[in-house]
Amino acid sequence: MKNKVLPVVMTTFLAAGLIAGCSDKDSGSGSGTSTNASTTEAGGKTDTAGGEEAALTSIPLPITTEPITIDYWRANDAKLTASLQNFGEMAAYKKKEELTGIKVNWTHPPLGQQGDQFNLLVSTNDMPDVIYYNWASAVGGPEKMLADGRIIRLNEYIDKYAPNLKKLIDSDPDIKKQISLDDGTIYMFPYIRSDARKLNGTSGLVLRKDWLDKLNLSVPKTIDDWYNVLKAFREKDPNGNGKKDELPLTGKDGAGTLNRLNDFAPAFGVLGGFQFKDGAIVYGPLQPEYKQFIETMTKWYAEELVDPEIITNDGKAFDYKITSNLVGAYSGGVFSGMGKYYNLMKEANPSFSLAGAAWPIGPAGKSYATFNLGGKVLTYGEAITSSADKDKIKYIVQWMDFNYSPQGHDLFNFGIEGESYTKEGDTIKFTDQIMNNPKLTYDQALAAYALSIMDGPMDQDSRYLDALLAYPEQKEANTIWMGADDSLTLPGLRFTEDESRLNASVMTPISTYVSEMVTKFITGKTPITEYDKFTKTIQSMGIDQITKIYEDSYKRYQSR
Amino acid sequence: MELIRQERAADSAAVPRGRITFLRRELVRNKYLYLMLVPVLAYYLIFHYGPMYGLMMAFQKSYSPVKGIFAGTWVGLDNFTTFFNSYYFWRLLRNTLVLSFYSIVLGFPAPIILALLLHEVRSKAFKRTVQTVSYLPHFISVVVIVGMLSTFSALDGGLFNVIRSLFGYEPMMFFTEQNMFRPMYILSNIWQGAGWSSIIFLAALANIDSQLYEAAKIDGAGRWKQLLHVTLPGIMPTMIVMLILRLGAVMNADVQKILLMQTASTYEVSDVISTFVYRSGVLEANYTYSTAIGLLNGVVNFTLLVVANAISRKANSSSLW
Amino acid sequence: MKQSFGERLFDGMNYLFLSLVIVVSAYPMLYIFNSSVSDPNELLHSRSFMFWPEGFQLDAYKQVFHNPKIYSGYMNTLFYVVFGTAFNLLMTALAAYALSRSDLYGRRFMMKLITFTMFFGGGMIPTFLLVQNLGLVNNRLALILPAAISTFYFIIMKTNFESIPGEMLESAKLDGANDFIILFRIVLPVSKAILAVMTLYYAVDHWNDYMGPLLYLRHQDLYPIQIILRDILLSNSMEAMGPGADTGFAIGENIKYATIIISTIPIMLVYPFIQKYFVQGALIGAVKQ
Repeated sequence: MKNKVLPVVMTTFLAAGLIAGCSDKDSGSGSGTSTNASTTEAGGKTDTAGGEEAALTSIPLPITTEPITIDYWRANDAKLTASLQNFGEMAAYKKKEELTGIKVNWTHPPLGQQGDQFNLLVSTNDMPDVIYYNWASAVGGPEKMLADGRIIRLNEYIDKYAPNLKKLIDSDPDIKKQISLDDGTIYMFPYIRSDARKLNGTSGLVLRKDWLDKLNLSVPKTIDDWYNVLKAFREKDPNGNGKKDELPLTGKDGAGTLNRLNDFAPAFGVLGGFQFKDGAIVYGPLQPEYKQFIETMTKWYAEELVDPEIITNDGKAFDYKITSNLVGAYSGGVFSGMGKYYNLMKEANPSFSLAGAAWPIGPAGKSYATFNLGGKVLTYGEAITSSADKDKIKYIVQWMDFNYSPQGHDLFNFGIEGESYTKEGDTIKFTDQIMNNPKLTYDQALAAYALSIMDGPMDQDSRYLDALLAYPEQKEANTIWMGADDSLTLPGLRFTEDESRLNASVMTPISTYVSEMVTKFITGKTPITEYDKFTKTIQSMGIDQITKIYEDSYKRYQSR
Repeated sequence: MELIRQERAADSAAVPRGRITFLRRELVRNKYLYLMLVPVLAYYLIFHYGPMYGLMMAFQKSYSPVKGIFAGTWVGLDNFTTFFNSYYFWRLLRNTLVLSFYSIVLGFPAPIILALLLHEVRSKAFKRTVQTVSYLPHFISVVVIVGMLSTFSALDGGLFNVIRSLFGYEPMMFFTEQNMFRPMYILSNIWQGAGWSSIIFLAALANIDSQLYEAAKIDGAGRWKQLLHVTLPGIMPTMIVMLILRLGAVMNADVQKILLMQTASTYEVSDVISTFVYRSGVLEANYTYSTAIGLLNGVVNFTLLVVANAISRKANSSSLW
Repeated sequence: MKQSFGERLFDGMNYLFLSLVIVVSAYPMLYIFNSSVSDPNELLHSRSFMFWPEGFQLDAYKQVFHNPKIYSGYMNTLFYVVFGTAFNLLMTALAAYALSRSDLYGRRFMMKLITFTMFFGGGMIPTFLLVQNLGLVNNRLALILPAAISTFYFIIMKTNFESIPGEMLESAKLDGANDFIILFRIVLPVSKAILAVMTLYYAVDHWNDYMGPLLYLRHQDLYPIQIILRDILLSNSMEAMGPGADTGFAIGENIKYATIIISTIPIMLVYPFIQKYFVQGALIGAVKQ
């Protein structure tokens, strides 16, 4: 969380840039783009441009007969580049151009380099009209981008020209809350998941179902069940090679820490970071329950139930261990943690099967998720820059709103009907063009048609997920994970610039200290008797200041 | 020697007599040299000093693309004090310096030794083979190198652990063993870089006047004596200049490599200034803070270089200026 | 001349040690090459040391070369390497020769001015804005002009020039040669070894340059091979394949290794050609010319 709101006062003097001084074009809107609602340049401009136009109720097709081209910048996606060069070649965008009559000029930075490229882009004055980005990772966050006059406020435009997005906002109070910044500004056409729980609940704990069956065990529910299952995996040679080489629990991408084990912390009602506890915001590792969690993990580690390389496993090592029948349980997703291994193992080991498991049951008999399942508005979205021609903005807004219209919704979620998908009643089925493509994997094939498999400005439809989950175990896992209770987790909060600075300077040493000490406790290098000293040190490092920041930010969130 | 004295004379002569006359005469005398320096200085002024105003960000709160650097909010030394007061400041400084110290002690001589050994090889074909092969690892990216180290370190069937077991040792986790971090980091750097860096010394060796060797042989010097009295003095200026430059990089560490190699179990020795700053996430989010850290590193590095250069100059041997 | 026992022992040990260096240095490349041609499935399942390939396929190479951008990438890189290095050598030689002359007034000041830039710079954004204001964005010159001199290499070259006997320059001067003639007719010809090193170092830097094109180029037709290969690599990584990756497509790991081989082989071949300049006594031979 490194986002800042620049105080409104500071926005008054924007045009004074010496280095990256404003061009004439945006000095007008730059100084006027106040984050305060009432009289914005946006509203004013529309009046002069078109008088008192009535708000649109649907997007006219074509949107305009004038020849209009939108300059659009977004990161490329490896799934798409497997077969296409840019997003304009995607079937959905081609169709959109045909329908709306608006052309798009796409610019993509080289794969994986969007961060630097974005920072350069917003430092100059010839920005494209539209930028699609993860705004939470923009320097200073969207608040600063608005305050600096890089992107424009969209509330008034949405009221007038974006009937479909407006309908989504008005019909769902969660979306309304999450799409706005703390001061009520809407700055983007976001990546939305209105069916949030289902689409967010796609990862969790996974076990080898065939191992459970072989040992006559059922999917573990409580933390004690987990212990018994892992113990049996270790002792009873479920892979049947006569060697005690099973790694009951492992994981990957742990960034050199044991943070992966935090998946078991909810069994004690705690998480590894900031969380709700009895209605208050607290820091997990300071809670006495976290000590119990550490003790349990220490025991597991000492009894070799945890792969010691869980700290260092990269994707390659992880794939090797799973496909070599060494691993009993791990945390993963429906696709990359389940479907992938089913595909890799279907020939080598036909009996290979997996089961998703709920987080072990915690206080009040509930299974608590380690992450927020209710996030409906993601931080990704398309914003209009101050370089966009003022007269063009209303068309751009309509063009962007098209993705949320019924027609655009199907187009960007499923592609072209009859070509990439068929509809039977309400059910979606992808065609062989997607599911059995001779040259591409199904996600690469779908990426050539629609956005749903990647990310983008749309309301992602959970039916795309149903259509892609080929194995019943994947669907079951999804159902289990989405049913978890996420009341321990915090919603997506926004921090002011000063809060972010404090957070970076105070929280980095604390996080370093915590991951270092947790690793030492669990691997037995430091005795658990030192735990009180550990919590005292965290306090002395200034954790209370950070808790205060979280409380303040949450208050602002609630009053949105 | 002669030239240095001349220069000093020239320098000191400049002040008392008419400076202008002196400069004019000097400009005429060395007009072609100054002409050569015109594009060089233009390059440095435009491309290096031109953007240097960016350093001011170190004293500001945040950078705003539109307002530009001159209009930021000034916070004085806040960015520095935040870092100095950080809980881990001393550990980070210590680790940065210790890692650099070992890198210099072990890593600096490696390419020189390799070059000297190659110098003693008489078979041309063998010499060229070693040269060509030893510089190959330079072309492999850090990500791939660390990925290979990780594969070799696997508990179950990793090359390093297989070798350990040949000698009857238990397998170990190299990446979580605190004592293994520095050796792994430094040795893999040598492995990757020694062949590449030795090229400079091979060129310096080629420049040694072969008559000197002939003369030494006539004096009855064996190969060891030739090494001490001809070879080493011949490459001494290059060695000293390289060492001075290396000392001017003590605060630099290969962030990407350390980030890939470090684990929470080894933070005690592996966490250096740059990795810590990187982990705080401020590098992407906060130019002012990262500029401040960069400036701090630059000051320490530059100071060390100036000191090392002065010492070397005093000792009457090579120096940068 | 007859060798003593000690000398023969040393030679033996030396050959042995350097052979070990060959093995240790060649191993990673061998590992990478063998991995690139191994069967993807075997690659996933084995913990082989890759002394030889596990199974065999060339699909990874086929897939990479199937991409038409590879060829324009190679041509662009060739352009940057050839013209970039030539310009580097010219600028560096001018700087190194002028500043190696200790009778030059202001030499120390200029050296300090230049060395200072090794430690302090304006950072990415001011540099980018400068390049943009000079109109160099999307221009091939953006990869050549801003990197005209590497201060590190310049210092090495200057140190080498300083070791050239002063008498050589003096006598040329007495013959009436000006500094340009001295540099190009006397200094450079006797400095073939260091010129060869500089050529290699600069060429490799241009070859490997990734950040420059990333920051300054927007048109794909200008991209060098490194950017193109990385795009291919990322498009085919196991992570990018995500859920759909099954054995038929799991060639991402092979492609990763294949791109290393493809991007390394051409530049690797440069070194053996310049080694002939590292011959003992090149200096003296040239003096006598």
